Amino acid sequence: MQEDNTENKENTEEYKKGSLHPLTLIMNEAVSIMKDLGFVVEVGPELEDEWHNFDALNVPKDHPARDMQDTFFIKDKPGFVLRTHTSNTQIRYMENLVKSGGNPPFAIVVPGKVFRNESTDATHEMQFHQIEGLMIGEDVSVANMKGVLLEFFKRFFDGENVDIRLRPSFFPFVEPGFEIDLRIGEKWIELLGAGMVHPNVLKNCGIDGAKYQGFAFGIGLDRLMMMKLKIPDARFSYQGDLRLNQF
Amino acid sequence: MLISYNWLKSYIPEVPEVDKLTELITFKLCELESVEKLPNGDTVFDLKILPDRAHDLLSHRGVAYEIAGMLGLRVSENSSSNSFPQVLGSPRKEIGELGQTSSEKNNSSELSEKDNSVALLKTQLQIEIQTPSCKRYMGRIVRGVKVGTSPVWMVKYLESVGQRSINNIVDATNIILFGIGQPIHAFDLKRLDGEKIVVKNAKDGDELELVGSEKLKAKLRETDMMITDGVKNLAIAGVKGGLDSGINNDTTDILIEVASFDAVSVRKTARRLGIQTDASKRYENDLSSTLCDFAMMEISSLLKELCPEVEFEEVVDVYNIKQEERKVSFSADYISKVLGVKIPDEEIEKILNNYNYEFSHRSDLWEIRVPDLRLDITGAHDMVEEIGRVYGYDKIIPQLPDKIIGAKDNDIWTKICLAKNKLINDGYREVYNYALTDKGDMGILASASDKSFLRNNLLDGLKKSYELNRLNAPLLGTEEIKLFEVGTIFTKDGEEMHVAYLDKKNQVEMELDLFIKEKVSQDIHSEITHKILLNFCSARSVDLAQGSQDEHPATLLNPRIFKSWSSYPFMTRDIAVWVPEGTDSEILKNIYKEFGGELLLEEPKLFDSFTKPSKVEGEKARTSYAYHLVFQSYSRTLTDEEINKIMNSILEKIQHLGFEAR
Repeated sequence: MQEDNTENKENTEEYKKGSLHPLTLIMNEAVSIMKDLGFVVEVGPELEDEWHNFDALNVPKDHPARDMQDTFFIKDKPGFVLRTHTSNTQIRYMENLVKSGGNPPFAIVVPGKVFRNESTDATHEMQFHQIEGLMIGEDVSVANMKGVLLEFFKRFFDGENVDIRLRPSFFPFVEPGFEIDLRIGEKWIELLGAGMVHPNVLKNCGIDGAKYQGFAFGIGLDRLMMMKLKIPDARFSYQGDLRLNQF
Repeated sequence: MLISYNWLKSYIPEVPEVDKLTELITFKLCELESVEKLPNGDTVFDLKILPDRAHDLLSHRGVAYEIAGMLGLRVSENSSSNSFPQVLGSPRKEIGELGQTSSEKNNSSELSEKDNSVALLKTQLQIEIQTPSCKRYMGRIVRGVKVGTSPVWMVKYLESVGQRSINNIVDATNIILFGIGQPIHAFDLKRLDGEKIVVKNAKDGDELELVGSEKLKAKLRETDMMITDGVKNLAIAGVKGGLDSGINNDTTDILIEVASFDAVSVRKTARRLGIQTDASKRYENDLSSTLCDFAMMEISSLLKELCPEVEFEEVVDVYNIKQEERKVSFSADYISKVLGVKIPDEEIEKILNNYNYEFSHRSDLWEIRVPDLRLDITGAHDMVEEIGRVYGYDKIIPQLPDKIIGAKDNDIWTKICLAKNKLINDGYREVYNYALTDKGDMGILASASDKSFLRNNLLDGLKKSYELNRLNAPLLGTEEIKLFEVGTIFTKDGEEMHVAYLDKKNQVEMELDLFIKEKVSQDIHSEITHKILLNFCSARSVDLAQGSQDEHPATLLNPRIFKSWSSYPFMTRDIAVWVPEGTDSEILKNIYKEFGGELLLEEPKLFDSFTKPSKVEGEKARTSYAYHLVFQSYSRTLTDEEINKIMNSILEKIQHLGFEAR
């Protein structure tokens, strides 16, 4: 058959192009907003020692605070865990900064994969992705934290009427610590943990906690993806199923 | 922690209504898991108490002092005198505010003096502490108790916080536990070998049968702290009592234990044995040893009320490790600087007064005496929360900080983005697979899942994804499956960031750095990289006109809503139809959509079309349109018959219109 197959070719072209996983799209979006607000991206290891994942973050051994995160420990490698948050990278960043003679101010975001040893359901996974932010300076305050987060959500949920509110909470690496709720339209949703970095954490990295202060926060990217793209089940993300790449 | 509204009201007669209380707790104290109205008329609040406040808020009294502090109300310890008659002097008045009386004043000799209002019997009780993990041990022998049922008020209070009434003596210890947060244990004195308590570590291999319905026998180790009578083990300190020395219906004389144990020691033992009790939960979060005095008076008063004929012996108090008095100072400027809102001195003074802090104020400096139970307050930073949450976080106005300029992204991030950008431009689609798998070089301990290794490559996962997606190819609108993943793998030596891609011809996996060097080969700090990344990462403000061929707008602008997929099998049919040249293919598509209805997945896909001149002179040329139809139901497995029926209807319609199916 000597047929003209132009239309066929065009169609093939269209689906030959690759696609990104929706989590990558969400991560990129979050990163690009934070970069716009003056943060730079940091990356750190997923296999981590207990110092960077816990001790430096003011989570002592044999303390109930360690139970707040169910942890995977590594076999035949005592003292090592799969990181339970990307805060390990904040510690590494500050240690390196001090080692190289640097000082605050700085503002970083750390997107990445983290692990929790818990059974899975539609909203809980053993592995998930976070974006954490850390900003330290001489007078970086709770008001600044509210400013950054509100701006972030305004841009991320572009076109929606959003607001945030703070509730008292506890994470060992911050004081005061907050749970932050996000309002989209009329509805309030509990969304992230945040706080002012605990002076012990700064001290553990060699930064003078009497001179410098600042905030840290951590947001679940899987959760943001589910909210923004209306994906109903967190487990869809890690099944290698291309039907998820719809965006 | 379950908090009963009625119980709370016994401490604060003016406690606000349930709705107001719900709001106060949520925005000024801690998360509320639930608020539930009970059939007995009470309302119970489930407070999520985190480790920082587990020293004082795992009790009704602790929560009462918080609520009272927020509102500037007084806590009436005496208001509970209907339940707790002041038989032993007036300890509540003396002890006063939440553990604020200095520990010095509460030593046992003063306690005995206060106890003078009832005749106290001399005691033969001996207490010996042989481990540094026992900070304090107070014991008192009480004779002539009558074990029986508890009064209605106690049963109701316990019921509200989810506790079953056992007998009046055990219930009394629980009332103190949930009331003021101090665990108390009662031993049957007759089961002791003499009137002696020795606190010491167990011997490896010791066993103890524990109270409770499970008939649990704990296997002990020498690191476990035990309460013994010098001859045999009576209880696991701070965790659970032994069955043999527990209270039973024939018990007449009891030994009351009010003690303070080291948090880590109790935690280790409780964890190892897998036993968590209301006592161990409080001890492992650490309790102030100053609470013991008050608890001993409370339990004594309550026992006197329950069994008016009881006789009390003197308290024996071995207080080895005393809690130091602590002071913390802070300035209003510091609090304001951290919060980012100016908090006036009057506001600070009001809050400190309402919470009954002992404090002084000189020039800019506030100095407080840390309340004994507030083991969490160690410095000025803690006072930021104490002042801030009561003042109101909602009063802090959001303010964007000045941008910090000059810093650069981590190179690994740049490389990850470049690699992904390269692969999608080569037509690959991204997947994420699990890092946890069933084989690898690095194992993990005690996984909640059946996977106990970390992946040592990406390709194994990609191959599985390939199979899954190959079967689903008709649903994906493609015959060609091209996959990639960028992620961490774990070898014996540690982790590596890898890139892997897979299609019919290629199965490639390599380290990220090598991929960048070989496949992307461009300076990661160049202007062009910067531009690519801007396009790659930004869902907005993509200037396509300036973009090069390599750039791919990974846009989330106008995001579509996720379309869920069916777990039932799909079926495919191809249909090619001759139509007169110039006929719009949309006509056919609409027919397929009309007859396919909701079983037709997505849009029918036109996969082939061509036009053929007629061999017959004067006859119009014809065009063939070939469509690919995919059928699937969200609620059932489709049968051949029902799809054939749909296809037949479509063919009928096509004939009716004068077209010809090929």
